[in-house]
Amino acid sequence: MKKRVISMLLATLMVGGALAGCANNAGGGAGTSEDGSAAEGDGSVKEFTAFFAVPHAEINADNEIQQIIAEKTGVKVTETWLTGQQAEEAVGTLIAGGEYPDFVDAGDGSVQMYEAGALVALDDYLDKYPNIKEFFTEQEWDSLRQSDGKIYWIPQFSNIYGEERVCAHNDEAFWIQTRVLEEAGYPEVHTMDQYFDLIESYYEKHPTMEDGTPIIPYTILCEDWRYFCLENAPQFLDGYPNDGSVIVDTDTMKIVDYNTTDTAVKYFKKLNEEYKKGIVDKESFTQTYDEYIAKLSTGCVLGMIDQWWDFAYTAGDALKAAGLDKKGCQYVPLPITIEEGMKNQWHNSGGIVHTSSGLAITTSCKDVEGALQFVDDLLSQDIMNLRFWGVEGVDYNVGEDGMFSKTQEMRDNDADTAYKASHKCEYAYFPQWEGTSRDGKNAMKPEQQETEFFDGLSEDLKKCFEAYGAKTYVEMLGTTPPPGPWYPMYTFSQTMTTATPGGLANKNMDDCKHMYLPKVVMADDFDAAWKEYMDAYNACKPEDFLSEMQAELDRRVAEAAKYEN
Amino acid sequence: MSRQKNEQLSEIKKVEFSKQLKKQWVLVAWSVFFVIYGLVFYYAPLVGWLMGFQDYKPKDGILHSKWVGLSTFKNLFSNPDYLGVIRNTLAMGVINLIATTIMAILFAILLNEIVGQKKKKVIQTISYLPHFLSWIIVTGILHDALSGSGIVNELLLKFHLVPQAVNFFAHEVYFWPIVAFANVWKETGWNAIIYLAAITAIDPSLYEAAAIDGAGRLDKIRYVTIPGIKSTIIILLIMNVGNVLNAGFEIQYLLGNGLVQRVSRTIDIYVLDWGISQMNYSLGTAAGIFKSAVSIILILICNEIAKRHGEERLF
Repeated sequence: MKKRVISMLLATLMVGGALAGCANNAGGGAGTSEDGSAAEGDGSVKEFTAFFAVPHAEINADNEIQQIIAEKTGVKVTETWLTGQQAEEAVGTLIAGGEYPDFVDAGDGSVQMYEAGALVALDDYLDKYPNIKEFFTEQEWDSLRQSDGKIYWIPQFSNIYGEERVCAHNDEAFWIQTRVLEEAGYPEVHTMDQYFDLIESYYEKHPTMEDGTPIIPYTILCEDWRYFCLENAPQFLDGYPNDGSVIVDTDTMKIVDYNTTDTAVKYFKKLNEEYKKGIVDKESFTQTYDEYIAKLSTGCVLGMIDQWWDFAYTAGDALKAAGLDKKGCQYVPLPITIEEGMKNQWHNSGGIVHTSSGLAITTSCKDVEGALQFVDDLLSQDIMNLRFWGVEGVDYNVGEDGMFSKTQEMRDNDADTAYKASHKCEYAYFPQWEGTSRDGKNAMKPEQQETEFFDGLSEDLKKCFEAYGAKTYVEMLGTTPPPGPWYPMYTFSQTMTTATPGGLANKNMDDCKHMYLPKVVMADDFDAAWKEYMDAYNACKPEDFLSEMQAELDRRVAEAAKYEN
Repeated sequence: MSRQKNEQLSEIKKVEFSKQLKKQWVLVAWSVFFVIYGLVFYYAPLVGWLMGFQDYKPKDGILHSKWVGLSTFKNLFSNPDYLGVIRNTLAMGVINLIATTIMAILFAILLNEIVGQKKKKVIQTISYLPHFLSWIIVTGILHDALSGSGIVNELLLKFHLVPQAVNFFAHEVYFWPIVAFANVWKETGWNAIIYLAAITAIDPSLYEAAAIDGAGRLDKIRYVTIPGIKSTIIILLIMNVGNVLNAGFEIQYLLGNGLVQRVSRTIDIYVLDWGISQMNYSLGTAAGIFKSAVSIILILICNEIAKRHGEERLF
């Protein structure tokens, strides 16, 4: 009996504790948003949900800027990101379940979402929202129409307002640490041979870091879909831009398969040589993305090929936090082509409409107009500043001339993940502008503000840029306008499914490359391995894929011609 | 008990059936609960199998998709990839089953031989803790331990067993053993619990008798312990054979990479890859149906074999 009384007591205590916990939380939540009392008072903050089929850092539930945006727009969106799954798996599961969040960006699975009837057509709404309407030209909106002639999603990125402002090269490149260049006296590097010579000679002199960590001269990220780092370099080496999946020969307007070009052979042969020399990290093909980022974060990797966004916001911040930016461990891109004296197109100027995916509203959303109103509000200058610059006086200062700038402390905060999670709220996968702010002076985003960008650089980076006569990452490479209205072709290949012969071939080619490209690089006998690879590759019927790409190229060129008159 | 008494008893039971039902209503209620659970979570989803015989489109749903008969299955089995996947699944399933069973029995017997309750308890607790780790953690540990600078390579290099670090995840030959090892490491202690229980149930007088007959430790294990747990072993084997095709999903998914994909993909991964990622729900369902069918057949065969040899069986 005694026992029973005690256990009852304990149970009551626990329930009481849990309730108290809730109450406390509620109190705390209200407390943090003192100036949010107005919005909370009339209780009109609408809550929406969103799912984005990409991994991303989560923000805290009581994020400060999210709260401010909620006060101004009356809307708060709870975002969910991809964790531990592939995008296709997540989207496939969503469709199979038949229940959706209000907002979704299904990435490569967007067409499947549309085909499953999960998305709301936006055509009837667009005219009511000036900021959304303004986001694209008529031609661009038309390029987003699906097979039923309606628009279902809004691509969020690479859309430039006013004058383009670019500092970071947010794309692929061969990257190298500034200390390697510094030691060699900042030589011009234009070929893979020169690139690897530099790395080799540095590695010979410095086999370890100061603390004894062994240096990894060159590593290749090869996990899952991120194997593009290994796979698509031949297109750039041949001087073509990132059409992804294929090269478009601008002279003949024909699709070229970059997997089988002579350049591809040379590129993989070079990697094979370097692998045998021990320059290419032996774990390249078995490491996970996390392991890769961990390696880069220690500063021990001299060079790699990757997309800027794939490492800069994780490993890049970690390098800064560890003070390795003062030791020349930060990366700069190099304009490398297969032979000396070729034009490179690692960097293209101008915006891109990523027609294959974007922010969509699902049929599960009960208040489509409210949702779109929020998107419209997010694009207003006031909220754009809040999303990307932050709170005036806290995250940036405004000079007398109206220019925004940050103090070093503010910059340090920007690299602090804990601070970002509690304070900053970019609504990162909602539509957003690049380029120049509506005030005509500032950039839409701080990383594009030239003065701010240069002031925020480490001494080593400044020295390096100056040595090459560059002020930004982009100037290290030079820039070219996009090649034509079809660009980039990957927005089509991403939407392919195995339902068509081309899509099936694409999937098989992908599986094949996943297996054979590492084998080729690791092979003792490169030529035999390459032959084996080519046999397996040709068995995947790449011609089916290429002919569908050619048809799409022709369609896009014809489509664009309609608007020229 | 005599036959007469037996009949009497059943008489009484019949008469008092309703009374007993009343008395045991709690038990009945619980079993109803579990029957409902089973219906909802094991039988209701089987409606989804219809997709395997359709050209399923999410927009049309099961009710309006086109029926295609067995053509999805034909496609499936004409695909060399799928045949490879079946081979991988079977191979890893069988290796895992044999390895984990033998290790669990061995471990249970060895543990039983330990004198001193306290030591035994400590060892047992430690040994089954890995069971509670999720695969993501286990594969993380494996990845670290087997990496170029991991403990395994470090040891191999220190003892000059290999000229340079072995990249365990880059070669197909290592994959199945690694998976088997991981399973053994994770599950041995846990699986041994049931064998240990079986061993404790053996009548101690048998051991005493054996000792009087001059049996040593090994003889006791051979002639008393193993025969004593034989029926447990067989029942568990039958049950586990049905699980052979559940060779795993997480571990292969997490440890696999492009280089070893030919030996690392299991049916579950294939279903995920084609059924969910490529949204070919029909193909994924068909692959899943095949797996279930084979599992049922395997159980029936094993049960039959057990029956023929006069051993314990499931049904």
